[in-house]
Amino acid sequence: MTAPVRPSARVQLAAVFRKEVQQTVRDRRIMFMLVVAPLIQTVVFGFAVDFEVDRVPTVVVDPDRSATSREDARRLLADGTLLSTGEEISAEAASAGIDAGRASAALVFERRAEADRLSGRGQEVQVLLDGTDPNRTTVTSGAVSRFFSELGERLARERLEASGQTPPAQLRPIPRVAFNPGLATAPYMVPGIAAMLLVIVTTFTSAMGLAREREMGTLEQVLVTPIRPVLLLVGKMAPFVVIGLLVVALLIGVGTWLFAIPIRGSLGLLFLGTVLYLLTTLGAGLLISTVSANQQQAFLGGFLFTIPAVLLSGLMTPILAMPGWLRPLTLLNPIRWYAEIMRGVLLRGAGLADLWLQLAVLLVIGVAIMAAATLRFRRRLG
Amino acid sequence: MSAPAPGAPVIEARQLTRRFGSFTAVDAVSFEVERGEIFGYLGANGAGKSTTIRMLNGLLAPTSGTARVAGHDVAADPDSVKASIGYMSQKFSLYLDLPVMENLLFFGGAYGLFGKALRVRAGELLELTGLAGQDAAITGSLPGGMRQRLALAGAILHRPEVVFLDEPTAGVDPVARRAFWRLIRQLSSGGTTVFVTTHYLDEAEYCRRIGLMVDGRLVALDSPAGLKRTWVPDRVLVARGQGLAGAAAALAGRDGVRSVQPFGAGLHLRVDPARLDEAGVGRILSAAGAREVVVDRAEPSLEDVFLAVVGREARGEAVT
Ligand SMILES: Nc1ncnc2c1ncn2[C@@H]1O[C@H](COP(=O)(O)OP(=O)(O)OP(=O)(O)O)[C@@H](O)[C@H]1O
Ligand SMILES: [Mg+2]
Repeated sequence: MTAPVRPSARVQLAAVFRKEVQQTVRDRRIMFMLVVAPLIQTVVFGFAVDFEVDRVPTVVVDPDRSATSREDARRLLADGTLLSTGEEISAEAASAGIDAGRASAALVFERRAEADRLSGRGQEVQVLLDGTDPNRTTVTSGAVSRFFSELGERLARERLEASGQTPPAQLRPIPRVAFNPGLATAPYMVPGIAAMLLVIVTTFTSAMGLAREREMGTLEQVLVTPIRPVLLLVGKMAPFVVIGLLVVALLIGVGTWLFAIPIRGSLGLLFLGTVLYLLTTLGAGLLISTVSANQQQAFLGGFLFTIPAVLLSGLMTPILAMPGWLRPLTLLNPIRWYAEIMRGVLLRGAGLADLWLQLAVLLVIGVAIMAAATLRFRRRLG
Repeated sequence: MSAPAPGAPVIEARQLTRRFGSFTAVDAVSFEVERGEIFGYLGANGAGKSTTIRMLNGLLAPTSGTARVAGHDVAADPDSVKASIGYMSQKFSLYLDLPVMENLLFFGGAYGLFGKALRVRAGELLELTGLAGQDAAITGSLPGGMRQRLALAGAILHRPEVVFLDEPTAGVDPVARRAFWRLIRQLSSGGTTVFVTTHYLDEAEYCRRIGLMVDGRLVALDSPAGLKRTWVPDRVLVARGQGLAGAAAALAGRDGVRSVQPFGAGLHLRVDPARLDEAGVGRILSAAGAREVVVDRAEPSLEDVFLAVVGREARGEAVT
């Protein structure tokens, strides 16, 4: 009899990897969920999540029907933020229209608008706004006040000049927006959406994968072999890292093509970040499955992890807007760091020197999660 | 890591006990299994057979007691034990969604086999188990008998010293069962020790020794013949002839007659050999009107043993 030789780690790892690839590519549903679904969702969300405010439906109430009031309304509506949806006869009628959702804003001129302006008494214009979406409301009211303050300034200057006085010097800030000059939402949001979809699909597949093996009894057959637990877990994850990289490459391709997302930095760096990110998400899935008795529990566990992780990542709500006690929690959130890496590389052309912290944090979180998963897994065997 | 001396037992269980909460599934079980032996482990549902196997192959930690398998202590050196054993669990547990060959390649890899050697070995086992040509078949599409043989192939890829087979023939048709047992005997004659549980008492006859489990306790352990001698001291007789049905009543209540049962066209009876023999039974039946009476001695079956053991245990339970 020969004393049993410890099987080679490389052979064991390759066997698990191959088996996992075989099972995954044979399962059409998993492949769809992993590759096609994130692609479709990125496209859909990319179009849907648009924080630019334009074409706000607006009604005009103009009892004066004078040349100046009509000209004011025309020029205000011409800049594209507001879009005329018709006229109403009174402020009450306009307000009712907003209540009914027919319009989001109303511009109400006074009966003596032109006379008031020409007499120099000052003219008032009432703006009614639907405050349901605070961002939209702010942008709309900003557009209206900017228009009227510029108008007022112009009138004042004309009046001073007419009376022979020199108008005061104008102060006008000229902002130059770096990296996203058009302030388009998609280049900012699409990397975030990709990070979010990636955490969801990879956490669920890895959590369910191990739970399924437990449920089917195949795990027991694996556990009587002398395979090292850490190799089993790493080998099970590895194919999904490859698939995850593929998905990221596809998403970036689609993002560049459909949403004009720039690629200013190194894709190699982005892929390194992706691998570290997947280590955390797949590791979280494994950890979830080690505390689950079956697939159902693993599924619930997947929700318990991914939903708070997405909500507390800064993708949905700015981290600065969170209560102070909640903010430190986002430091443990891999999504936050990965979104920073993605945006940094793609939008700002950031390099290793700028992103080493983000990469290091992901590595630490990933290794910690994997260690916890392996320990839990080992303990459960005893 | 020391190899056991030749002749030393390959499996040694010492006072193995496993409790689940307050329930004792396996209660202080001790036994030894010798090299190359086919060791049968019998017991009713829930007797603790699978739990014993799971403690021997390192899947389950015993609550108390120790086990050595293939010369290694299961608690102290589980990896060496795992490398030396094969295991077929009660529930089929290869990957149903993978082709036959992929299952063998995966488990072979887990045992450290690779490359050409692994493929050759896998092909050899498919041949041995009558699955040649099924390499690409999806495992889940195989009929039950083939699945069981594939599971056996997966368990012996790495030429283990000991294989644990937990009800390997449950739910398999009689022809497939026979084929499976041919494989088991082949393994054993090649020097592999086989530890097998079963519900089929006819199969247990193939075992060199049998352990009988009742409610977590090992209540009997011997060769099939030894068990029969110990547990069925009565002589089992089979009477054939004409008009036996009418004459059977004459036997009931006679001195030395333990039981009489119609069996096909004949009678099955158990007698105390000290008081009544074949000739005596023949005389009684003939006197009662039966003709052409022939009485033969029959071997008691393991079923008789099993009923006797369980019966005594049940009475024991009732008394205490
Ligand atoms: N993990 C567990 N938790 C709780 N009870 C268990 C566990 N595993 C087994 N048992 C109980 O221990 C007892 C013995 O189970 P075991 O599976 O060893 O029986 P068995 O002899 O193999 O039966 P069968 O012929 O049905 O396979 C049963 O009552 C079973 O319900
Ligand atoms: Mg069992």
